[in-house]
Amino acid sequence: MAKARTFLWRGGVGAVFTVVLLPMLAVMYLSFFDQEVVSFPPDGYTLRWYVNAWEQREFSRGFVNSLQLAVVATVIGVTLGTAAAYALVRARLPARGFVNTLLMGPLAVPGVVLGTALYVMFVQIDDAIDFQIVATLPGLIAAHVLLTVPWTVRLVAASLAGLHPAAEEAAADLGARPWTVFRRVTLPMMRSGVVAGALFSFIQSFENLELTLLLVGPGRSTLPVAMLNYLEFRVDPTLAAVATVQIVMIGALMLITDRFVNLSRVVS
Amino acid sequence: MAALVVPALLLVLLMMVAPMALLFRYSLNIYSATDLMIEAVTLQNYVAAVADPYYREVLATTLRTAFLATVIALAAGFPAAYVLARMQGRWKSILTLITVFPLMVGNVVRAAGWMALLGNTGVVNTALKAVGIGSVQLMYTPGAVVAGIVTVVLPYMILTLAAVIEGIPRNVEEAALNMGAGPLTMFRRVILPLSLPGVIAGSALVFILCMNAYATPVLLGGSRFKMMAPAVYDQFVRTTNWPFGAALAFILLLVTLGLTMAGSALLQRRYAR
Repeated sequence: MAKARTFLWRGGVGAVFTVVLLPMLAVMYLSFFDQEVVSFPPDGYTLRWYVNAWEQREFSRGFVNSLQLAVVATVIGVTLGTAAAYALVRARLPARGFVNTLLMGPLAVPGVVLGTALYVMFVQIDDAIDFQIVATLPGLIAAHVLLTVPWTVRLVAASLAGLHPAAEEAAADLGARPWTVFRRVTLPMMRSGVVAGALFSFIQSFENLELTLLLVGPGRSTLPVAMLNYLEFRVDPTLAAVATVQIVMIGALMLITDRFVNLSRVVS
Repeated sequence: MAALVVPALLLVLLMMVAPMALLFRYSLNIYSATDLMIEAVTLQNYVAAVADPYYREVLATTLRTAFLATVIALAAGFPAAYVLARMQGRWKSILTLITVFPLMVGNVVRAAGWMALLGNTGVVNTALKAVGIGSVQLMYTPGAVVAGIVTVVLPYMILTLAAVIEGIPRNVEEAALNMGAGPLTMFRRVILPLSLPGVIAGSALVFILCMNAYATPVLLGGSRFKMMAPAVYDQFVRTTNWPFGAALAFILLLVTLGLTMAGSALLQRRYAR
């Protein structure tokens, strides 16, 4: 009786974790099917859909666009976010709680609503001073930087909070200039937070759909937008191959991030 | 040194606070087919959205889906979170990684997986045919959307709950068991009340995510199944009625926020003893 209960309990919990992983496993499996129409069991297995996916302009361009966007947004966002986190932890800020809430805001406002609001503002600026932002890369980058700031602030602030400022004070007392103190003492101390912030920011920007939807220009889709447009018609092994590439890439980044920070503390 | 916070703060003010304020202002304007918008301060867009049976149905669909998905995620996530919280060492970090990983992969990829599983010639239907039940329409049903959303939000629920359950000392469980409580009584009288903050935080977070789901309902629900986030998007892409679209966006925000706060307060009062 007790054994049966333990078995049921373990089986149930195992099933929950399996269901979470199931859609990703299904997509990876599908990408190796030898036939174009999705049907089980497959006729055979092949790798040709990976070649086929890369030869489709929307996917190869989308991949390159997403990569560029994520790299630039991460570099800017991590710089801004790290500076802000440092001030948040070490400086005597007026209304620190409020500032922190504001900086975390982009995580709380729903993506579609924020994307819509940005779209409306960009169009109005365009109308008012004839300066196009909608459907341009700078506009999209600015929006994605917004996504990366809260993650960086959270991760860097967490890594700084546990460190004593005495080391920095000692360096300053021994005659180091502020910039030297920052470069030689502070930066190495918060390295793990900065690296984790950068990796998370990159992932967030790369896979973002909702904020991006309204802001991309025609022919300049990011990878998630290209996948969404394709999926509105069908799912096939070519799309599955693209999705698998994204799964593997993000998986690798996660494994690297895991070496720098405790992941369970990051998300909740 | 405090100045270091200024660039990031400026960015958030310019790119989040300002556009949101602008969107809210536009929701009070009047739509005009010729001039796009006429400046006004009126609630007529909100009234029109609430009075329109189509958008009432969209909101009702969104609420039903979000409630159902939140309840399922809580029921399925609790045991998983308990196991994760009580695990130790290497396996714990592996299981944590397995939980966080899907969060990072993105909703579009996971929706594609469900499309492969639930399609008419997909895995599930092939299995059903094999056991003699025959093909069932699974894609483009509310059930497919709920299944898709639940897998999207489950990791958030598990991680939030596990963080709280980890803080409950093991010996309170043992004390209850030693004094003769069965496992179920122990769970109901000890674990559940102590993990209430996690239940509230997790359900609130998951409910908000469900209410704002975009990719999952669009891809798994088909054209006739409409939720609020896609409806807001359509309003700006397919029509030019900005004031109405802005009002829809703020109705979504307010309903989500209001219900989340009311739900948390209710749960808190119920167990505050």
